[in-house]
Amino acid sequence: MAEIIRVENVKKIYRMGDNEVRALDGVSLVVEEGEFLIVMGPSGSGKTTLLHLMGCLDKPTEGEIYIASTPVSKLNDPQLAKIRNKMVGFVFQQFNLLPRLTALENVELPMIYAGVPKAARRRKAKELLELVGLGDRLHHRPTQLSGGQMQRVAIARALANDPVVLLADEPTGNLDSKSGEEILKIFSGLNKRGQTIVIVTHDPEVARHGDRIVRMRDGKILSEEVNVHA
Amino acid sequence: MLDMLKEAFRSIAHNKLRTALSMIGIIIGVAAVIGVVSVAEGTSRSIRQSLTSIGSNLILVSPGFTRGGGGRTATALTEVLEKEDADRIAQLCPSVRYVTPIQQGNFIVQHERQNSMATVMAARPVLFDMINVKLFQGEFFNESDERAKRRVAVIGKEVADELFPNGDALGQTIRITSGSIRQTYMVIGVLEKSGNLLFLNPDRSIVVPFASAENRLFRRKNVSMIVAQAISENMANQAVSEIDSVLFDKFQNEEKYRIVSQDALLETVNQTMAVLSFMLGSIAGISLLVGGIGIMNIMLVTVTERTREIGVRKAIGASRRHILLQFLLESIVLTFVAGLLGIAAGFGLSKLIAKIGSVQTAVTPTVVLVAVSVSIMVGLFFGVWPAMRASKLDPVEALRYE
Ligand SMILES: Nc1ncnc2c1ncn2[C@@H]1O[C@H](COP(=O)(O)OP(=O)(O)O)[C@@H](O)[C@H]1O
Ligand SMILES: [Mg+2]
Repeated sequence: MAEIIRVENVKKIYRMGDNEVRALDGVSLVVEEGEFLIVMGPSGSGKTTLLHLMGCLDKPTEGEIYIASTPVSKLNDPQLAKIRNKMVGFVFQQFNLLPRLTALENVELPMIYAGVPKAARRRKAKELLELVGLGDRLHHRPTQLSGGQMQRVAIARALANDPVVLLADEPTGNLDSKSGEEILKIFSGLNKRGQTIVIVTHDPEVARHGDRIVRMRDGKILSEEVNVHA
Repeated sequence: MLDMLKEAFRSIAHNKLRTALSMIGIIIGVAAVIGVVSVAEGTSRSIRQSLTSIGSNLILVSPGFTRGGGGRTATALTEVLEKEDADRIAQLCPSVRYVTPIQQGNFIVQHERQNSMATVMAARPVLFDMINVKLFQGEFFNESDERAKRRVAVIGKEVADELFPNGDALGQTIRITSGSIRQTYMVIGVLEKSGNLLFLNPDRSIVVPFASAENRLFRRKNVSMIVAQAISENMANQAVSEIDSVLFDKFQNEEKYRIVSQDALLETVNQTMAVLSFMLGSIAGISLLVGGIGIMNIMLVTVTERTREIGVRKAIGASRRHILLQFLLESIVLTFVAGLLGIAAGFGLSKLIAKIGSVQTAVTPTVVLVAVSVSIMVGLFFGVWPAMRASKLDPVEALRYE
């Protein structure tokens, strides 16, 4: 099985005056192709920080991260932007759709940065919105959509450039349990079709959907287990 | 790129009131530049018009002023320019087509009980070939009138209206007097109304044959001026230097005469007005700078407000360059649109000034082009700093920003 992301002895330390916060304190982790990985831990354990590092939004204080065998510390801004654009797809707790754009335009945005021509962009964005069950909401703006629908648009957006891995940060955190369950079903469906997925969460309900669970606390990995149901 | 442009327009259209307020500075600046320069340009045009409508390639020779003792400027004319000088110019200057001496003076003119003041101008008949004056009625005097020293006159429309309030002036006699001088002339032509021309106001003039007035109306040897016309525009400078050499031969002192060509006058006017336009335009342009600061302010606010959006864009693949371009484009579009509105306002302003100030104004393509490109540059210049700030935002912090 191919290795998609390798996190090697990574530390992330925030200095605030005399205090230092060790958000990550020596984390090592490998994400394998095709797996559905859950990173679970209480609030403040460093999950979001880890996800941001894996998605090249941030750089570690120490250690190294490899994406498809490329060490991230060697990359400059345009190269990092390219990785965020093409290799990873982010899904956030707060959805983070651009409010002035329609669902379709939000999904098109990563393809604009990738330089995909307009017609191809449109077609792909439509396909993806249909895939997440929003074929009838193409021209709605985020404010005209429910939370569950917004998160589906966000998933479609994350899939726009066929990323090698989907990184989701508490994707059901702002949803009621029913729409949360629907979102998790979409993730499971995508994973069955071969999509590599990493979800970070504090919620054991969410964790049930993964096939490997990594537990964190205080910036360290405590344990790792394979989910039996899967 | 096109997508980004569309985006920029959209985000500007989003907050209309704020956009309008931030554009006002640029609109006023562009309008002020266009308005002010249009006045300068209009004035320059009307001066050029009055310079050129009298005729073309004219050269005026007048007696020089000499300096008095003790550094005071003496007003004494050196009375030396005479009609023989005009004859010599006619003979010796191949680049000169026509030349005539001119005597000028103010006289009282009368017809029966009507009287009026007029400038009597004694000139040879070629004058009518040199300058653009048209007849309202009758005819010009000719060479035979000149040779025979006939006392015939072509009079201006205003003078004619005053002397002959209810009738035909042609064939009537007028009396021209000044002190002990008193002569009668017969009206053979009336000039069309024309307004002030370079060196004469035809409407208030009476033109008579030079020979007929010599020793009668003007009992002196010196002439008021000599007017010559070069064969063509290309020969104008040549003509001036030929005339100069003829006159210098005689006077041996270049202070004693002055030669002014129409071209030189035009050149001076053009240069002066160009400098004036530039200066006035630049002063008005300062308001563009102030407008630019307004744009910068609004863009800084926009960047702060949209911190989260910037974070999201970076998370889905925007590089620093993308973000920089996005915000730069926004401020350029903002100032460009403001520039266009400013042009419209500038046109309005120029029309308004023309109406209430009763001056001629003219909006040239150059000033429009300059004003718009300057406003785009202002957008670029004042947009760079906010756009740089946006592009340098740390995506993680931008995403946490509420
Ligand atoms: N920019 C920052 N400056 C200082 N401390 C931070 C910053 N970002 C995160 N932290 C700290 O790092 C720790 C881990 O945060 P985070 O990764 O958000 O945890 P989680 O997502 O598991 O709740 C927390 O204690 C948080 O306060
Ligand atoms: Mg978190």
